[in-house]
Amino acid sequence: MSPDSLLTVEMKHRLGAASVDVQFALTEPWTVLFGPSGSGKTTVLRTIAGFVRPDSGRIARRDQVLFDSATGVSLPAHQRPVRSAAQAARLFPHRTVRWNTMYGNGWNSKPADASEIVEESLRLFRLTAMADRMPRELSGGERQRGSVARAVVSAVTYDGPGKPFLLLDEPFSGLDNAMRDELLPELQAWLLQWKIPVLSVTHDVGEAFQLGAEVIKLAVGRVVRQGPVGEVLGEERLRLMEQLRLEQLNRSN
Amino acid sequence: MDFQALWLTLRLAIGTTAILLVVALPLAWWIASGRSVGRALVQAVVALPLVLPPTVLGFYLLIMMGPLTAPGRLLIRIFGHPLAFSFTGLLIGSVLYSLPFAVQPLVAGFGAIDRGYVEAAEGLGASPWRTFWSVVLPMTRVSVLTSAVLTFTHTVGEFGVVLMLGGNIPGATRTLSISLYDLVQDGDYQAADSTALLLLVFSMAALLTIYLLPSVRRAEGRQADVAR
Repeated sequence: MSPDSLLTVEMKHRLGAASVDVQFALTEPWTVLFGPSGSGKTTVLRTIAGFVRPDSGRIARRDQVLFDSATGVSLPAHQRPVRSAAQAARLFPHRTVRWNTMYGNGWNSKPADASEIVEESLRLFRLTAMADRMPRELSGGERQRGSVARAVVSAVTYDGPGKPFLLLDEPFSGLDNAMRDELLPELQAWLLQWKIPVLSVTHDVGEAFQLGAEVIKLAVGRVVRQGPVGEVLGEERLRLMEQLRLEQLNRSN
Repeated sequence: MDFQALWLTLRLAIGTTAILLVVALPLAWWIASGRSVGRALVQAVVALPLVLPPTVLGFYLLIMMGPLTAPGRLLIRIFGHPLAFSFTGLLIGSVLYSLPFAVQPLVAGFGAIDRGYVEAAEGLGASPWRTFWSVVLPMTRVSVLTSAVLTFTHTVGEFGVVLMLGGNIPGATRTLSISLYDLVQDGDYQAADSTALLLLVFSMAALLTIYLLPSVRRAEGRQADVAR
């Protein structure tokens, strides 16, 4: 694997009858793990985050080893240079949206511009109007956005050496298409500016194209292909467009 | 009414509750989140006072605190006097006897927390310690309150352990329940009646507090929200 990769992952893990056996290196600012449900996307993400201990493998952020079964290294989740948001939004129910967004803010250093970053993130995710509400007063989609906004703030205000890797599981499933069109480029530009690399999970072809990202295509726990989205998901795009064309034909008939 | 006994009972209950909260919080968190083999053993030991006759616990403590055993001799050396038949001895007995009442509501509360909240906090870089104080504990404050109230009331209502371990020394070990027993033995039914009524009303009021507190009802509503 190339030495300039941002994150290298080698893992083997059995889950009952299914197994995940993948190897990849990330070099682009935004990479998408793409695949149908059950292909192991979430397991890979949770393993990097430190919530799943694989049977064997090695995970490294540049030259910092996060997990290595050969040497017995396994950093606990909170000490890894990663920040993550799960697919299910888990906003802490006893505090406001703003407090939640502030939660993972530089644990030891508390950067001075943190509250600016929080407000910026709330604005970006269209949550400013409901920042003082409790999570139970939000819709499911709003909670999901809050959960991603919280992870983004935590990554931007990270106080360890270097920058953390941001791991997002289906981060935009709480957005309708119009909002996604607006928000995605803004978020991408913002994270690029802060130099925070992202690995996100999706099964949405449109989203992968919109991000224009590097894509790792998974199927039944194996990497099928890795490369620019146009190369890896060309087939899926054609199928999608064919489907849309047929639907249009049906409607006009 | 024996006001000296009432004051002693309150001091014992407050002391027991304070000690048990400190002991039970980490213990319950360990039981609720641990996966080790020792867990079953610890759970069984914690639950033991629920099924053991209080006199059995009292008997063993009496022997342990006396000069016949090595730990007893050590305790005598530390405190300068035998702990049996003293307030400190009574406090130790109460802590052990009420342990399950402090631990079990907390284990239930911690166990009901969705692991997703803990992972969310750790995924944002929060240490387990910080996650416990900033997320787990506030989300289970109803369980903490229940644990405290049950410990307090259970200590107030304790009889067998006190009798075995403390005897009946006014101002040192004579609690309300012992005083009630004494009054009945002496045939003073009128005083016994008011003591009994006080204990009954107090216990009822404490339990009502648990079930009526607005925060309890809000928490129930919130759990319904989360389930939805």
